[in-house]
Formats: sequence, C-alpha cells, structure tokens
Amino acid sequence: MKKTLQKLLHGREISAVGFLIAMFLVAGLVNPEFLAPDNLLLTLNGSVMYILLAVGSSFVIVTSDIDVSIGANLGLTGAMAATLIRDGVSLMIVIPATLLLGAAIGLINGIGVAKLNVPAIIMTLGTNGIIRGFIYIYTKGKWVENLPDFFKQYSQLTLIGFVNVFLLITAIIVTLVYLYLSKAKKGKYFAAIGDNVSGAALIGIPVPRTRMIAFVLSGTFAALAGLVFVSKVGFVSPMAGNGYEMKAIAACVLGGVSLSGGMGSVIGASIGAIIMSSISRILVFLKFPSDWDNTITGILLIVIVVADALIQRHLSEKARKTRLSARTSAQKEAAV
Amino acid sequence: MSTNKNQVSEQPMISIRGVAKSFGSNAVLKGINLEAYRGDVVALIGGNGAGKSTLMKILMGIHQQDEGEIFIAGEKANLNTPSAALAKGIYLVPQEPMLFPNMTVEENIVQGFSEKRSELHTRLVELIKRVGWDLKLDRKADSLSIAEQQLVEILRGLLRNSQILILDEPTSALTFNEIQSLFKVVEDLKSRGIAIFYITHRLTEVFEIATKVVILRDGIITMEGPVKDFTQEMLIKGLLPPNAQEVTAQACSTEAGLDYSKLKPALEVKNLSGYGFADVNLNVYPGEILGVAGVVGAGRTELAIAIFGIDEVTGGSVKLDGEEITGMNVRAIIDKGLNYVPEDRHLNAIYGISEVSSNVTSGMLHKLGRLFINFKAENELSDHYIKDFRIKVTGRDQLIGSLSGGNQQKVVLAKTLATKPKVVILDEPTRGIDAGARVDVYRIISKLKEEGVAVMLISSDIEEVVQLSDRVVTMFQGRINHTFERCDINVDNLMAASFGVYRQEEKPQ
Repeated sequence: MKKTLQKLLHGREISAVGFLIAMFLVAGLVNPEFLAPDNLLLTLNGSVMYILLAVGSSFVIVTSDIDVSIGANLGLTGAMAATLIRDGVSLMIVIPATLLLGAAIGLINGIGVAKLNVPAIIMTLGTNGIIRGFIYIYTKGKWVENLPDFFKQYSQLTLIGFVNVFLLITAIIVTLVYLYLSKAKKGKYFAAIGDNVSGAALIGIPVPRTRMIAFVLSGTFAALAGLVFVSKVGFVSPMAGNGYEMKAIAACVLGGVSLSGGMGSVIGASIGAIIMSSISRILVFLKFPSDWDNTITGILLIVIVVADALIQRHLSEKARKTRLSARTSAQKEAAV
Repeated sequence: MSTNKNQVSEQPMISIRGVAKSFGSNAVLKGINLEAYRGDVVALIGGNGAGKSTLMKILMGIHQQDEGEIFIAGEKANLNTPSAALAKGIYLVPQEPMLFPNMTVEENIVQGFSEKRSELHTRLVELIKRVGWDLKLDRKADSLSIAEQQLVEILRGLLRNSQILILDEPTSALTFNEIQSLFKVVEDLKSRGIAIFYITHRLTEVFEIATKVVILRDGIITMEGPVKDFTQEMLIKGLLPPNAQEVTAQACSTEAGLDYSKLKPALEVKNLSGYGFADVNLNVYPGEILGVAGVVGAGRTELAIAIFGIDEVTGGSVKLDGEEITGMNVRAIIDKGLNYVPEDRHLNAIYGISEVSSNVTSGMLHKLGRLFINFKAENELSDHYIKDFRIKVTGRDQLIGSLSGGNQQKVVLAKTLATKPKVVILDEPTRGIDAGARVDVYRIISKLKEEGVAVMLISSDIEEVVQLSDRVVTMFQGRINHTFERCDINVDNLMAASFGVYRQEEKPQ
C-alpha cells in the first residue's frame, strides 16, 4: 500500500503524460480534426507562455512557497516591453530591461517572504495588487498596440519548416533548468528547503538566500513569458496575464510539483502547462463554451491538491506510528 | 579510558568555558565548563529541561550563548550559524533524523558541500566501505527505517570530516539489534580520534560506551568524571535535586491510606497497546492519585491521549466505571466522565484571544443552553472557578492570553473540571508555572481527590509525583516497568525506575 502510494506520487510526470494523451484522444474521438498534425503543433506552440510561467513557479513551489503575483508581473513587464518596442527602442535594451524588471519584482517578493517573514501568499497577493495598479497608471488604462510587425512575426519563426523557434528556445531552457536542479551542486537546495527546512539549515544550506533566489527566478520567468505574450498577442491590455498564476500553479501541481514542497520537476511542470493550455483549445474543438476554461482549471487544481494532501497525510501518519512503535519494540527484542 | 593519561598534556578538542544562556527570564544554562579530548565519548545525562539540548544547540550554532566562550582545538570559535559550526568540524545528529524524505540517500548526504559531485561520490563509497554499513545509496530516504536514517545522519557528519560529533539520544527510536550496531560504529569513531557528545536517558548505555560522564541539572554540571569512577547509583544521586530525599510521600505520611479492597477502580486499563506504548495495565481508584513517572519519550503522553480517544488503540481495553470506552470518540469519552489536561496548554488547551469565562465553559457548551448560550450560567460558573481556584484576573472578561502561565493553567483546569469528570488525566500540570500557582494547583488536585475523583498524574517532576501520589507507576520505553505502593514511593526509587535501572533487592531500607 505504502509503496504504491509513493510510486503514485513520484511517477507523476508519467501519469501527467498519460493524462495529456487521454485528453487528446478524447478530443480526437469527438472531433478528429483535433489530432491533425498542424493542430497539435499549434496546441504545443500555444503552451510556451504557460511553460515558462510554470517553470518559474516550480522554483517557488518546490521550496514550499507560492507566488501569485506572476500574472500581474507578466502584465507589467509585457506592457513595458510593448511600449518600448512600439517607441522603437532596440531589443538589445528592451529584453534585458524587461527581465530585470521581472527579477526586481521577484526580489521584492523574496525579501518580504524570506527576510521579513511575511507569508508568501499574503506577500505576493499584495504585490499582485500593487503591480496591477501600476499597469493601469503606466498604460493610463489603455491598450498598448500598434507594435511593429517584425516583433509580432518572431512568434511565427520556424526552423526546418515546422519547429517554432520560441518552442525550441523554451525546450532548451526547460532542459537546462532541469539539469541544473537535478545535477548541479546547489540545484537541490530548493527541494531540500521545501522537504525539510530545519534539516536544510542544519547542514548549512543558506535558507533565506535560496528562497529569495526562487522568487527572483519566478519573477524573471514571468517577464520572459511577458515578452512571449507581447510577440504572440501583439498588444497588451491592462488586464493582460490576469488569472495566469492559477494556470501556472495548477500546471505545476498537475505535473507533480507538490504544494507541500520538496517534490517535482520542471519537466512535470511543463507537461502540466501543456495540459493547461490545451484545455481551452480542446473546449473549442468540443464545441463547448470556452467560458468553462477557468472553472475546469480550478476544479483540476483542487482535486489534485486534495488527493495529494490525503496521500501525504497517510504517509506521515504511518511514519509517526512506525517511529513510536520502535520505542516499545526495543525491549521486546532485548528480552528475546 | 586507558588513553586518559596521555591526554593530560594534549590540547582539548573542544573546550566550553562559562557558557550561560537564558530564554527570557528563564535561565537554562548557568555557566557550563566542559572539555572533550580526541576519542572521548562524553555521556551527557540529565532530566527533562536540564539544558542538554540547549548546550548542544549552542555548539551547533542554532542558539547563541549569552555568556562564555567556546574554544575548538585551542582557538576561540564564533559559532553563530550552523554553517560556522560545520566549518569547525562539529556535526549534530538530531534525535529525530532531519533527512529530506524525497531525496535519495546519496543526495541527502552530499547536500551543502562545495566539492565536485563525482569526488564526493568516490569518498562516500570509500567511507561506507570503511565503516562497513550496508546502505544502498540510491534508496529514497522515506523508505529508510529510523536506524538507517540515523546512519545517514552520521555519514553526513563523517563525510564532512567532522571531528566533534553530537549524538542526541541516538538510541531512543532504535531496536535492540540496531543499538548494538550503532555502538560498534561509536567504538570505531572513538578509535579514530573523533570526540563524541552522547546525550542519553539510558544509564546502562553510559557504562557500555562512554569514557566520561557529565550530569546536568537545572543548567549546571552537578557531577563529572571518567566513567570508571561512577556507578549507576551515583548517577541517580547526581540527577536528583539536592534536598530531594526530604520530600516524603503523601501516602506514607497519612495514617491510613485508601482501603483498596473496598474500592472498585474508576479507570481500568487492561493490556492496552498503541503507538508509543505497549501492554499497559493500570487501575485508578476513586479518591486516589496515581502518579505516572518516566523520562521524555517513555510513552506517557501517548498512553494518555490513546485512553482519551485521540490516538488509535491497537489492542487491549479501557473501562470507565466498569463500562468499556475503548475506541470511543473524545466527545463521548468526556460525556462518560473522563477528561484530560494536555501537557502543552498553548498548543492544545487555551483559546488565547478569548475571555476567561469563554475558556472555562468551552468544554461544555453543549450543556449550557440549547440554541443560545446561557450566559448567566456561564458567568456564574466562571466566577465560581475564579474564586475557588484563586485565578488572578481583572474580571471574568479578561483575555486568557494576557494571564500568567500559572493562572492560564488554572483556567485550563477549570475548563476540564467544569465537565465534572469522574476520572481526570493531568499531563504535566505544573510545567512552566511559578511556585505560588504550583501550590494552588496542588491544592486543586488534593481537593479533587477528596471529592472522590480518580486522578492520573503524569509528571516529569519526580518530587511532585512523590509528594502527591497514593501509588506510582513508572514507564520505561513504552511499558510500565514498576508499580510502587505507599511507602516505597521515594525519589530514589522513582528515578531509578524511570531510567530502567531499579532493582528491588538493592533497596537500602
């Protein structure tokens, strides 16, 4: 029983892939056009933004914090990037500046959470509101549009005919992050903190610094997603990115990044992101009103989190009982 | 032990000089001087709250001392963070292993190193071969037994080339065979010149592996020296407060005790087993105080909460006034007439931002009016207890969080007793309260006894157990190992039995 439950938790990447395939098959059964190669490619390309958000989020979630300001972060960084590009500023300046702004927002979150001990949900909910307000002030409530065509076309660039460049870059980033987290010397620090924070402190892992870095990365990835958003959508409304944080968090959880920390990989989070972004597309193919998109995301999020929590509780209760039982068994064995 | 002579000229590996530490107004360490040399195994023993853990946490950089200095290999060390302590070659193996359950054994061990992974792996494999343990490096930590987790913790320390190893009650969760293999490891470490601080509650272990004994009591070292100069009886003496012998048992001093032949037990526990305790048999009679003594982790609280219906019972039965209550839920058990005062009032017993009166009635709201609370009854009840228990408040509407610890505890007692229990289990009822309040709590307990309530008193304060109890059981490693009647109740006997070294025939009387 314990073994199977543990497998269920650790083999989450695989079950997420299974879920994705099943979802595609069901959609294909109802409407075979969905499984057309062109459409599948489009679906995959459409998930780039969510993948970036989910990868950023997984740093924070793995350390058992949360960042709900990434949607607003995407909105503000996107609006700034769009304004600068519209005004003809060189991309060599726009891209670093945008990433820097995203990182700065992350740093503020990180200082609040790791140094001032504000609960992560409260801190990032606060910055979320502040940033959303900034967007309105910055854009005066208007859309940022009329971007030069060259930038919008970047999102359509392909290699050898069909591989989208953004998707390729994202795949490379995911691979690099995956290798860093699993192989690099300090890559496991994030998971270690989420797994057992006092244990991490005891072996000399710099806990506050690592948590801050996680938020900075989360902010930077949100800004990167902001750039993708500008290129793909071509304009930025003051509500851009609204609710994306829920999708990103749901993507992580679906892909096996546990909200209790210490568990999961960015590969899993990316698969989760593909599922999340496919849902709205599938709804269209099933001729279902796409208004249900957020509702379904929310339901999935809660179902998975509850299931995870139940399994987790069962396992820790079991561990407690084994520990307590060991105390009484010492005598028994000694007597034998 | 034989190396003791050559060590005299040698420099101590670690030297603790005049270390003092207070938390708030509570002085936990009052000037500790302690040294350890290469290959020393220093057994640190002491009762609950003696300051062992605090001292070790200071060494590990988790707490900072208020006064005093620590020298490592003759050099003054500033241990202000765990990383600083690790850099000085100190490693603490905590009582509950602090592994990362979702990582493999190897990942658990190599976190926090600056060396290359491949080099670490080679060193780790060599290390495991040298100590001769059978531990697969790619196993997930959450599949390890407690003993294996402890080995992983020790490997962490050894791979860091730690010269000073702190083992905090390493055997408390180990089985007999695991303990034997741990001792082999300790012997091996000893022979390789590593200094070990060994915190334990088990006196037999001291003689098995320690080279030096240090007894801590109330933040001072009361005895220390090479282990060969000590006997178990001497250790027990060192653990006792100076005037403890004068405390006389309640039961022995009163002319006639209870006549048990005419009484039926109010609480009958038969062969009760659960998580953390096993095969417990005890009876508590009306008008009697049954003391339950033992060290931390002996399973007393686990037993109490299982009787109270919070934790699972795996075998045996609990009867209240002859009626089976095993496995009932807490609400039903309270209604049947058994109640429990938990050991941690902040965590489990008070509603800090509510008034005293709400706290008093919080356990019996369903009896206080039907739909709405009968506030008149609530006020009368709280006024009654405030007066009766001498709870110092500005009024019954004062917030309980603003009261002193002793007065909070009295409110907790009032809350529990307001349900009019026939049996009450008190878990550490005087922990952390001042002397005046303590006297009042004792008065309340004695009054309960007069009223014919059966009281089960769990306490780590041995004098308190001796002073109040009619009979005492001692728990050791989850089992009741001795029962003491009337005149056999004294601090010496209870202390020895709590540490599992009581021998009837050696009794001085």
